[in-house]
Amino acid sequence: MLRRLLIHTILFLFGLSLGAGLPWVWWLDREAERRFAERQWTQDSRIYARPLELYAGLELRLEALVVELERIGMRAGDPSRVGRFSQQGPRINLHAPAFRFPDQDQGAQRLRVTIRNGVVEALERSDGESLALIRLPAAELGDLLPAGSDDRTLTRLGDFPPLLVTGIQAVEDRQFRHHHGVDPRGLARAVWTNLRRGALVQGGSTITQQLVKNLFLTPDRSLIRKLNEAVMSISLERHFSKGEILEAYLNEVYLGQDGAQAIHGFGRASEHYFGLPVQALDVDQIALLIGMVRGASWYHPVRNPERALKRRDFVLGQFLNTGLIDAGQHDRLIARALDVATHRQRRQRPNAAFLELVARQLRRDYRDEDLRGTGLRVFTTLSPSAQLAAERGLARGLAERERQPNELQGAAILVEPSSGEIRALVGDRTASRRGFNRALDARRSVGSVIKPFVYLLALAQPDRYTLVSPITDGPIDVELPGQALWQPRNHDDISHGEVALMDALANSYNQATVALGLEVGLPALYRLLGQLGIEPGSEQHPSALLGAISLTPLQVAQLYQPLAAEGYSAPLRAITQVVDVDNREIGRYPMRLRPIREEGALALLDFALRQTVLDGTARRLPGLLDQDPGVRGKTGTTNDRRDAWFVGYTRQWLGVVWTGRDDNAPAGVTGSATALPIWAEIFRPLSHRPQPAQWPNALEWFWIDWPQARLASEDCQNALAVPFIQGSQPLELSDCFEPASTSRRSRGRRR
Amino acid sequence: MNRTHLAFSKTGLALATLVMISACATQPPAPTEDRSVAEQVRAPAAEQTRGLQVYPLRNPAVTELSQAALAAEQAGDLDQAALLLERALRIQPRDPELLQHMAEIRLERGEWDQAENFAARSFDVGPRVGQICQRNWRTVALARERLQRYDEAANARERLQECQVEPPVRL
Repeated sequence: MLRRLLIHTILFLFGLSLGAGLPWVWWLDREAERRFAERQWTQDSRIYARPLELYAGLELRLEALVVELERIGMRAGDPSRVGRFSQQGPRINLHAPAFRFPDQDQGAQRLRVTIRNGVVEALERSDGESLALIRLPAAELGDLLPAGSDDRTLTRLGDFPPLLVTGIQAVEDRQFRHHHGVDPRGLARAVWTNLRRGALVQGGSTITQQLVKNLFLTPDRSLIRKLNEAVMSISLERHFSKGEILEAYLNEVYLGQDGAQAIHGFGRASEHYFGLPVQALDVDQIALLIGMVRGASWYHPVRNPERALKRRDFVLGQFLNTGLIDAGQHDRLIARALDVATHRQRRQRPNAAFLELVARQLRRDYRDEDLRGTGLRVFTTLSPSAQLAAERGLARGLAERERQPNELQGAAILVEPSSGEIRALVGDRTASRRGFNRALDARRSVGSVIKPFVYLLALAQPDRYTLVSPITDGPIDVELPGQALWQPRNHDDISHGEVALMDALANSYNQATVALGLEVGLPALYRLLGQLGIEPGSEQHPSALLGAISLTPLQVAQLYQPLAAEGYSAPLRAITQVVDVDNREIGRYPMRLRPIREEGALALLDFALRQTVLDGTARRLPGLLDQDPGVRGKTGTTNDRRDAWFVGYTRQWLGVVWTGRDDNAPAGVTGSATALPIWAEIFRPLSHRPQPAQWPNALEWFWIDWPQARLASEDCQNALAVPFIQGSQPLELSDCFEPASTSRRSRGRRR
Repeated sequence: MNRTHLAFSKTGLALATLVMISACATQPPAPTEDRSVAEQVRAPAAEQTRGLQVYPLRNPAVTELSQAALAAEQAGDLDQAALLLERALRIQPRDPELLQHMAEIRLERGEWDQAENFAARSFDVGPRVGQICQRNWRTVALARERLQRYDEAANARERLQECQVEPPVRL
């Protein structure tokens, strides 16, 4: 009777579990298959600097190359290892990691670069073969709209180093190739241990089980969850190949945190901890990461280096036991110190202002959901070494020149004029700070920075104006309908009387500029600014002639770009190309040109802005540079010294510096005493080639008895060689003019 | 000539009100791959090698890139050709040959205004005589014709004639 009851109970329970369990198992099986097949991994969209192109003849300082190498994740060390470089005198031996360019998969390569006197002298492969051109990998600047809590760099199974693929099995799951999702022997061992200890302390999880747990299940340790895990693991193995499972595992496994983001997979972990693509990892680095699978935080190489080292050596021991490495290798490797890139704090990295510019532009052209977590790669125009120079120059320059600590703020922009590519952008004296981006958003009075455009308008009328035309710098009353009389004054409160046009610009005389500006007309100035891509507003007040117009530093850079590019306007751009996760191009921002058809007038203005540096308001500049490669420039100071500007350019670099106070209070700054030295500080570490000015054929040069509008001889005391648009030179002769000598010459200056 | 106002190019872009970075959005694909257009520019000039020719010195890196650009162009990959030429122009921004090649790529892509502007830039920095000068003005003329600015196109054809300069007599 009792026995029958027992049998009936057992049968009943069996039937119940069969009835309830089978549908459960069926459902789990279906779920596991569906969810694995449909899984979509997010991968942050990443932003890259412009790749540095190396070639013989490139102007590049050794220190700048080192900065560039460090920004692509390379470190000083033995260049037989990928990602390392060493320096011997003028030569740098480097082992550049592989990089996937939009148009080319480039493998790792060993190179020798010789730099002498700031110029790349030779570029060779390590076997001595000379190379014409090498494109270094592009530095990663940061993520675009981080996709939330996870980040990974998806990597195909075949792209992982073979040692990583076999090593992970040796350590985590030796039976992986043979089991069907669960490993009964491993499970039995775990169960036995757990029973003996009276608690769940050991998991005999296979790689498949770990994957199932990470992908589908909560991390609690209950028996039900363990059962679900086993069923789903067997299910995965039924429906998918070992390769697919392993690939998913290697991309999913949790390997620590990067700020608020979890690092998933060996691809991203390799970039995070070593600054290298996973293919470039050495054996000890692979062992360290494999060791972290057991507990990414417990074995964290930076926070818990001793534990991490022990764990790495344990993993190396497993490699030795399974024959993956030999004893000699093992002994050599365990002698190595941990080798993580602790400086690699991506979230705190600078470039915040530039990244914001990139993000704004992308948001304008794409929808947020197309950008977020889709693994796009955005290639930009930023030069890491120029960016560093701009950040440092601004921070140091402000600290040296402010009345009290942290009073001033500033912005700096560097542009390559001929292409309009933005090489550096700083929007805060603390470059890593996110927030108010002054380079893009601070609309400030530009002051005298506007004046060259007034003079350009005048010089475009060669029958009326030349560089030596006399204009009057004197008290001037401007009547405005319904408003008080406007009486502009000079900075020094002195009227200088009749002055040559070029001197009025070079010395930034206000009254002369207003007189000239009223002649050429205010509407013409607004039209010109509009044609150069700037909308200064519709209300036209003559004080605009003195720069009572509020513009952002980026707008000022756009205004000056065609002056620095021989009259070809190119829209400033920060992005060159956008590719998707499969390297297909989805966006391109090509170089565009638009001619400003006043070649002659632009060249005259260029000459006058050079004169501003040699003998005008910017005359301090040459003394602040080791070598003056022919900088043209203009200072700007606004009322009560609220804003200080300096814009300077060569054919290679256009730089804009603004400083002032955020609350727009008087800041005690001037263009020549504050902004100019900061500009020099930024410019000094940049590489540049001195380029002889190339003047358009439409110009003719004459000796002028400066500042009189009279032709002179070369040996006259005040003789200055001045360019004129053909036929516009003065006809009057100076007293010292000697008919025997020719007054015309090609180029030169004497004063 | 009475010039009371700056004659700035009106053909240019009306740059966005968002002037922070007046970048151009993604390039629309060329309406047609007008390969023959570029050929019209190059071939006639190549036949006339009699006049004075000026060949600028070339950086080997630029040579490598411009040859790759030519190969990409011949393979029909105009996007890649343009990218390679941009890389070369970063190295030598004032190279008239590179600028003219870019103008021809833009011509093939049907970007008439950019073709004209790159050719004009090439002429400005170039020798202003010989083959490249002829290619400059031929490109400008073709682009203007496509833009239906026929008078200006005729003007460009006249300038084309001035490219032919007899070489200096050698002793």
